Amino acid sequence: MLEFFAEMWSFAFMKRAFVVTTVLSASVTPVGAFLVLRRLSLAGEAMAHAITPGIVIGFVTTGLSVISLLVGGLVAGIGVAILTALLARKTILRSDASLASLYLIALAAGIFILSAAGSAVPLKSFLFGSILGIDDASMMLVGGVATVTLASFAVLLRPLIVSTCDPVFFESQTRRPWLVEQGFMLLLVLNLLAAFKTLGTLMAVGLMILPATAARYWTSTITGQLVLGFLFALSSCWIGLTLSYIFPETPSGPAIVLVAGGFFLLSALLGPLGFGARLRKPSKANQPQINQSYTEERTQ
Amino acid sequence: MAPILEIRNLALGYPSLTLFKHLSIDIEAGTTLAVLGANGSGKSTFVKMLLGLIDPLAGRLAWSAGRPGEIGYLAQLTEFDRRFPIRVRDLAAMGAWRGFGLWSGLGKTGRERVTAALEEAGILDLADRSLHTLSGGQLQRALFARVILQDAPLILLDEPFAAVDQTTEAHLLSIIERWRDEGRAVVLVVHDLSSVLDHCSHALLLGGGTATHGPVDEVLNPDQLVAQGYLSQSQASWMFRRGDQAREQSHA
Repeated sequence: MLEFFAEMWSFAFMKRAFVVTTVLSASVTPVGAFLVLRRLSLAGEAMAHAITPGIVIGFVTTGLSVISLLVGGLVAGIGVAILTALLARKTILRSDASLASLYLIALAAGIFILSAAGSAVPLKSFLFGSILGIDDASMMLVGGVATVTLASFAVLLRPLIVSTCDPVFFESQTRRPWLVEQGFMLLLVLNLLAAFKTLGTLMAVGLMILPATAARYWTSTITGQLVLGFLFALSSCWIGLTLSYIFPETPSGPAIVLVAGGFFLLSALLGPLGFGARLRKPSKANQPQINQSYTEERTQ
Repeated sequence: MAPILEIRNLALGYPSLTLFKHLSIDIEAGTTLAVLGANGSGKSTFVKMLLGLIDPLAGRLAWSAGRPGEIGYLAQLTEFDRRFPIRVRDLAAMGAWRGFGLWSGLGKTGRERVTAALEEAGILDLADRSLHTLSGGQLQRALFARVILQDAPLILLDEPFAAVDQTTEAHLLSIIERWRDEGRAVVLVVHDLSSVLDHCSHALLLGGGTATHGPVDEVLNPDQLVAQGYLSQSQASWMFRRGDQAREQSHA
């Protein structure tokens, strides 16, 4: 067993992958937690697809550099966010339908451009990630995004909690409520870009949503949600990377997300806020008063 | 005493629909203003305008001592996420969050204020419970505790008695009376006339494209309520006949 791990960690790319995904787990955990709590899980997924054409155009024009990835992805992400808001406010469509329409166009455009340009990068690693592609620049990107994200959350955490729990109350408390919302969306796009190399465009949001939804089944506090979410994300990355090493044909993205999915299913089944509460026999202390008196009457 | 807020010639609505216009009203300290009207008459829009969330179509708002840093606000329960993972104590503490800012903790005084507010709202025993385990009435009490902690000169309550039982309503009304006695102005959107007649000094009746304001006894007469579409003719006759009978019995 030990020999297996020693052999796996003797490869530089595996060491990089473990370090990058550890930092990535810390960065995406708060973003994922608030995506779930703000009921934006599907919007996060849509946004992950929407940034594809930006990344592809950046890649086709200047190669797979961190700068092209960052600029292309940010332009596409912010562009889609603004267009979605415009369509939702000025036309009959709601924001979910606007975002779905735009991300489908963006994803199709991204894949079309990539295929038409006869890219040297296999489509599979673009969509599903590859642990072989993590270079120094990618590590810097993940480290930088994690720093920005955690520093931003130190400032945004309380406003985010209030605005998520009671948005109208929050609007009544601040002159610029949109700052929190737009700041959060920017952090989402940055983290999707950071996760892109390891997880691919289709799987990037998986590491945000699944650990957060799994954690939600166990805890009723924000602190618990963040701590458990991080542990689930980290475990998913480490186990997923090991699986990807054992089965070399498997892209790292689906391997990691599949493990996260396993945590989610187990949590839904066993967690006290999932089916677990129904499976457990209720203790006497928790039984409603009316049942006790009914039982007493029956036994008299 | 100068009013907290003077509203002059106000028109409220949307570009394609004017809900009402020409409303001039003084909101004075120590008064309780009930806002009534049929669905869609602009009650919640009026409250949101006072909060600064919606701009009026026309008119002027003049705050005697500048716009207060804090306006107490209770939104409708339908706009609230009850599954959000926080405790009752933390929800109430949101009312004081301007005081402790982005990083610092509540401190001893802050914790004592939260405890006192929960006690006054009658839910101190639920302080460590999660929100999703509360009933509608318990959640409304927790939100009242948050308004208590806001400690504001003007308090806006949007349908505070929807989905609460009679005991809870009576308790919440006693808190509103305490606010009034302390010299705060309370504006509350309500549907039930009985709670208004007994506990509010003034009324603002919206509907039929107009807004009528004045002391409760003057505004809430049968003809006015029918004219502004709040009651049908038969409902008004029945309700006020019952009211007269009750008053005669109490005099006898």
